[in-house]
Amino acid sequence: MGGLLELVGLRRTFGSLTALDDLSFTVPAGHVVGFLGPNGAGKTTTMRAIFGLTDLDAGTVRWNGVPLGQPERRRFGYMPEERGLYPGMLVGEQLEYLGRLHGMSGADAAAATRTWLERLDIAERAQSKVEALSHGNQQRVQLAAALLHGPELLVLDEPLAGLDPAGVDAIGQVLLDQAGAGCCVLFSSHQLDLVEDLCEQVTIIDHGRVVVSGTVDELASSGPRRLVVRVEGGRAAAWARSLPGVTVSEVAAGAARLVLDDAVDSDRVLRAAMQAGRVTEFSFQRRRLSEVFREALG
Amino acid sequence: MTAAIVIVVGAVVLALRIWMRGRRRRGQVPSPEGARPPRRGSFGDSFGDVGLVALREIRERVRGRIFRVGTVIILLVVAGAIVIPVIHGGKAGPQEVGVVGPADPALQPLIQQAGARVGTSVRLVPEPSVRAAADALRSGAIDLAVVDGDRVVVNAPVTSDSTSTVATVAQEVAVELGIEHAYREAGLSGSQVAQLAHARPVPVQSLQPSTKGTARTTSVIGLILVFLMLTQYNTWILMGVMQEKASRVVEVLLATVRPIQLLGGKVLGIGLVAMGQAAIIVVFALVLAKAVGSDLLHGTAPLVLASELVWLFLGYAFYCWVYAAAGSMAERQDQVQTLALPLSLPIIVGYVLALTTAATGNPSVLFEVLAYLPPTAPFAMPVLVGLGDVAWWQFGASVLISIAGTVAMALVAAGVYRRAVLRSGQQVRVRELFSRPAAKRRGTAGVPG
Repeated sequence: MGGLLELVGLRRTFGSLTALDDLSFTVPAGHVVGFLGPNGAGKTTTMRAIFGLTDLDAGTVRWNGVPLGQPERRRFGYMPEERGLYPGMLVGEQLEYLGRLHGMSGADAAAATRTWLERLDIAERAQSKVEALSHGNQQRVQLAAALLHGPELLVLDEPLAGLDPAGVDAIGQVLLDQAGAGCCVLFSSHQLDLVEDLCEQVTIIDHGRVVVSGTVDELASSGPRRLVVRVEGGRAAAWARSLPGVTVSEVAAGAARLVLDDAVDSDRVLRAAMQAGRVTEFSFQRRRLSEVFREALG
Repeated sequence: MTAAIVIVVGAVVLALRIWMRGRRRRGQVPSPEGARPPRRGSFGDSFGDVGLVALREIRERVRGRIFRVGTVIILLVVAGAIVIPVIHGGKAGPQEVGVVGPADPALQPLIQQAGARVGTSVRLVPEPSVRAAADALRSGAIDLAVVDGDRVVVNAPVTSDSTSTVATVAQEVAVELGIEHAYREAGLSGSQVAQLAHARPVPVQSLQPSTKGTARTTSVIGLILVFLMLTQYNTWILMGVMQEKASRVVEVLLATVRPIQLLGGKVLGIGLVAMGQAAIIVVFALVLAKAVGSDLLHGTAPLVLASELVWLFLGYAFYCWVYAAAGSMAERQDQVQTLALPLSLPIIVGYVLALTTAATGNPSVLFEVLAYLPPTAPFAMPVLVGLGDVAWWQFGASVLISIAGTVAMALVAAGVYRRAVLRSGQQVRVRELFSRPAAKRRGTAGVPG
């Protein structure tokens, strides 16, 4: 398994609204790519464009350098934002049906259905109607539908929304395993901490354009330095607010998270902290993904 | 008709065999996890996807309670339509005819022959007076009375349109008595009158079988069934497409199959269920009619029945696309209802006019025109066949027009479906769908996100 998804110059307008504006990025094999952006940024339209579910005014979507067609899309897995299963159909039959639509034989679809239902801990619900399942279990069935044909590319729109921690862990592990097996995984989420844990690469879009793209390591280590300083008695971090070139981005549990301009000497920050009280913590930290996101969107 | 039944039954059997094979294969030993699934060829892809969608529709519909209960109800109605006339015909007892006045040996054979001529037996009951006969008529003890050999008295008025047994016997007896009087006034002897009374009409040979009334009855029953089935299956299509859109499953499906494959599979699957149900009803009707000795399927009636089947097929083929396109434009029950009413108007108009025409037996010019228009031909043309008012080439021309209309409708519907089924939110309007150029690929309009 392996491949490269390329989105090149995608443009899509809805009347006066520009949903995608010359959008370009890639999803390499074996990577989990987080696809981030505020509401209305164009994430869902982008994912729909990959599956030919929306018209494009310009641009192409390529798989291994070739424009996408139905044979390629048949080998992809898709989990749309608003989900989509037949409410009155049995879980097992529904998954087998979807597997066969992806080109599997009846026997293979049945075997894969059993495998994935067991893997996602819902094997006992195979004979239940989808509408009888909880939200979390319906989400698991939806994920199984995207996975059971062994996709080369997995596109998931908000797969973690509304899940309990156990569900997030289970689905997160599945995504990592898929990437480990060589699958391209692209998923969108507003849960940035989870994205930071799961993804090796992140693409952030806004107004239909890519504003930041790179590996999580690159993005976390780039930008201004972050200092976390804990001073006894200085819970409001008043001592830091008057320092030139220093911005207090957050004060939590007595620790101040400071953003330092390039010219600021960290020793001067340490001295100011010591003058304010006893310093119990003083450490440089990487940029969080939430900070990358906020700073990218201004 | 036999050929049509064989084709329909064959299609259903083939579909079931494919389905059963699929079930057997699912029961085989599974392949190891991670093994790449075998891929079909490009032709297999296209045909296979439509077939898979169709098989799902067949399985879900046949499994549903609505189908099973509906089929049983239709079979009961058909059974009633076949059996009740037979039972009713068998129970028609002899007509009691009161006779007032002096005994006349020529009167009895005359009245009995009149009864025989309208297909019923007659028993004469002497009545002492006109008053007694009137009382017997009112009480129902006798059905009609002949007074002094020159008057016929009945309880309820008899007109030329009356079709009851009493009325027809009374009219026949009246005619016979009138003739008998005329003979006597002409000076014929009693034996001559008796001889003339035994006169039988020479046979009238027609080029077509003489069961027009039976064929008309069969066409009415067929009309009702075509109306019920078209309404039912159109509703399935409408609701099925709407529900796929509302549940968003269509987005998952269209990520792997083309819109025309999904739509084609749906109309094919529901169509096979429709034809299968029609085949069950026809076979049931044939067997039952044979068993009870019904004449509903004698003469030209089988031809009418075959025509009904042809037009059920053509009617479904035309309307399924209309309703599928409509379903793709709605995603809520109230939206569906606003769409369903205007769509059902041509069906209702065609059905009502067809029933009226079948009853009167006099097709209007408008009705004959409707028999060539695809939306109303499924109702109008079988009635014309039942009335014997249509030549084979006229039937063929209507079929060809209907097929052409269906192809045109399928193209329009596929375009509407492709553009509308992924649009969520408000009900989609047709002019919105065609306000921008068609998709460059197979894509459909979506919403920003």
